[in-house]
Amino acid sequence: MSKRILISCGTGGVGKTTLSAALAIRAASLGQRVVVITIDPAKRLATSLGVETLGNTPTDLTERVRAAWPDQAPGSHPFHPDGQLWAIMPDIRETFEEFVRELAPDPATAQRVMSNSIFQIFSREFSGANEYMALERLYSLNKDERFDLIVLDTPPARNTVDFLEAPELLARFFEERLIKWLVLPANQIIAAGMKKALGVLERLTGRGFMTSLVEFAQALTQVQARFVTNLSRISDLLRAPNVGFVLVASPAPDLAREAQRFAQLLRTRHFRLHGLLINRSFKHFTPTPSASAAPHAAESVILALQKREVGAVHELERNAVPILTTIPELSRDIHSVEDLCHVALRLADCDDRLG
Amino acid sequence: MSSPAPSPSLFQRRLIFVGGKGGVGKSAVSAALASEFARRGFKTLWVTIEDHAFALGETRTRISGAPPLLTHLNIEASRAFEEYIGIKLGVAGLAKIFVGNKLVRYMAEAAPGLHDLVLLGKIWYERNNFERIVVDLPSTGYGLSMFQSPTNFARLFQGGPIQRDALAMLATLNDAAQTGHLVIALPEEMPLQEGLELKATLSSLFPNNPAALIVNRVFQGAPPALDRPNSGALFVSTIDQYLAHRMRAEAEHLSELRLKDPEFATLPYFDPPADMSASESQRMQNSLSQALGELL
Repeated sequence: MSKRILISCGTGGVGKTTLSAALAIRAASLGQRVVVITIDPAKRLATSLGVETLGNTPTDLTERVRAAWPDQAPGSHPFHPDGQLWAIMPDIRETFEEFVRELAPDPATAQRVMSNSIFQIFSREFSGANEYMALERLYSLNKDERFDLIVLDTPPARNTVDFLEAPELLARFFEERLIKWLVLPANQIIAAGMKKALGVLERLTGRGFMTSLVEFAQALTQVQARFVTNLSRISDLLRAPNVGFVLVASPAPDLAREAQRFAQLLRTRHFRLHGLLINRSFKHFTPTPSASAAPHAAESVILALQKREVGAVHELERNAVPILTTIPELSRDIHSVEDLCHVALRLADCDDRLG
Repeated sequence: MSSPAPSPSLFQRRLIFVGGKGGVGKSAVSAALASEFARRGFKTLWVTIEDHAFALGETRTRISGAPPLLTHLNIEASRAFEEYIGIKLGVAGLAKIFVGNKLVRYMAEAAPGLHDLVLLGKIWYERNNFERIVVDLPSTGYGLSMFQSPTNFARLFQGGPIQRDALAMLATLNDAAQTGHLVIALPEEMPLQEGLELKATLSSLFPNNPAALIVNRVFQGAPPALDRPNSGALFVSTIDQYLAHRMRAEAEHLSELRLKDPEFATLPYFDPPADMSASESQRMQNSLSQALGELL
């Protein structure tokens, strides 16, 4: 059976990490061997799953989840004996260094890159590094025989499309032409022109930076070719028939617009959109019948949120953005694996996406 | 409330950064703050950073007011970089060579730290053109990379105008007379914890200018009675049940917060901005002024 990959995207604060974990738990309960990849700097997922920390290698959480699974709850089912849940939280810095070590032709080159001052300060911050590393991890886990399903919880972004665009941004930094500019070419005329340009740049940056940058670039040329190959393999993987994207969103004012933009971008790049998971929904709440006419302040906020959500959903339906399911706003925070399991019980409509 | 901190009122500071994790209402709060400054007669700039929605002209403007009193700027890094180069090199022709140079373009867009420095530099230069600047920070990394870059750059660029700028910016950010750092959080467990962590990080980055915390979207009034003992259920069915649980939890979080870190202010939960009427908008601005006054 071919491995399935589910990638969840969305902005911050919508419950993406929680839902990614819940989807993974559900799939495990149905018999899949699942691994969820999360970038979770606030350790939210780790806390909910009741572990101190999630590491750079997959942690087996099956027993914990199996013990917490509420098989007697309404609408539930027994936890499938074959199901497994693993979780991994890649350490970006560690992953990036591992990545450099792997791509470098020899340890000396790897060392040169990693001891370069630019690399040291910025390896955590390369635009697109988080996103790219998550995809690198996805690519390597795709070959791992232990799993049937991979759920990738992407890093939260300001704009939902950032995740898709980030790796390309990073790629441009490695682009061959850029590297060629920095590595002084043999041709004397071109070299003289380059020296002049660098000289002017040095007026801005100071001498040390340019020297570091050139050294860094020279070291990078060695890794760059393999990076570009990797990137194209990853791009191909993302378009494979077993890979699908879900957008997690809350019913905020720009829900419809954001979802449409996301759907459009996926279409343009030939990625597969499973649909939208609307989280933190108020639509299920019924007003409390009461004698007095006017709702109090807090209740009128909820009513306004409901009204807004209805409008957003209509707009989504008008624009044919598929809604997989809607998860209600919770009455309290998630504290435990049991809580995550209860959320998982609400995700039945996603079952055919989970394999 | 707690005794006043010995620092200038936030309303007297020229540059206010509004940060926090995603979905806490930074845009609404920063927009209301910018509108309030304009209402008080200050020539004000509201800054958003690479927000695609604005770039496409789609998001309904949240500020009430118009140029010259109130202006909105959505900073795009590449354009900001061109301007920065122009300012730094001082010679238009030379600047043009650079702008056309692919090396420079790529550095601006992909080189970490430099990208952020340029964004911050753009904001910083605008302080000459406006009496008040309110910045809606990105929630990814909480916008910290933007603040950390001057420090990194000072280390990396030995001498040269970039370093001079970086050090000058750091000094401004660390100066309580010029800059205010506002962290927005929600009265929920995780957002509050993350807000406090961000506040602590900012305060250690800028030890002479500690950040202030605003807890946003606090439901007002007394919680409805719980119709049965709290079952701890995640899913409830009526609005009142939801509010009964939620408002009690909020009150608990806020009283815990008062013990840990008493200097914070709160903002009520307003009707969602997209539906906000002019009077709702004004109410939010008034509440905001009051909340910021309490932070004094």
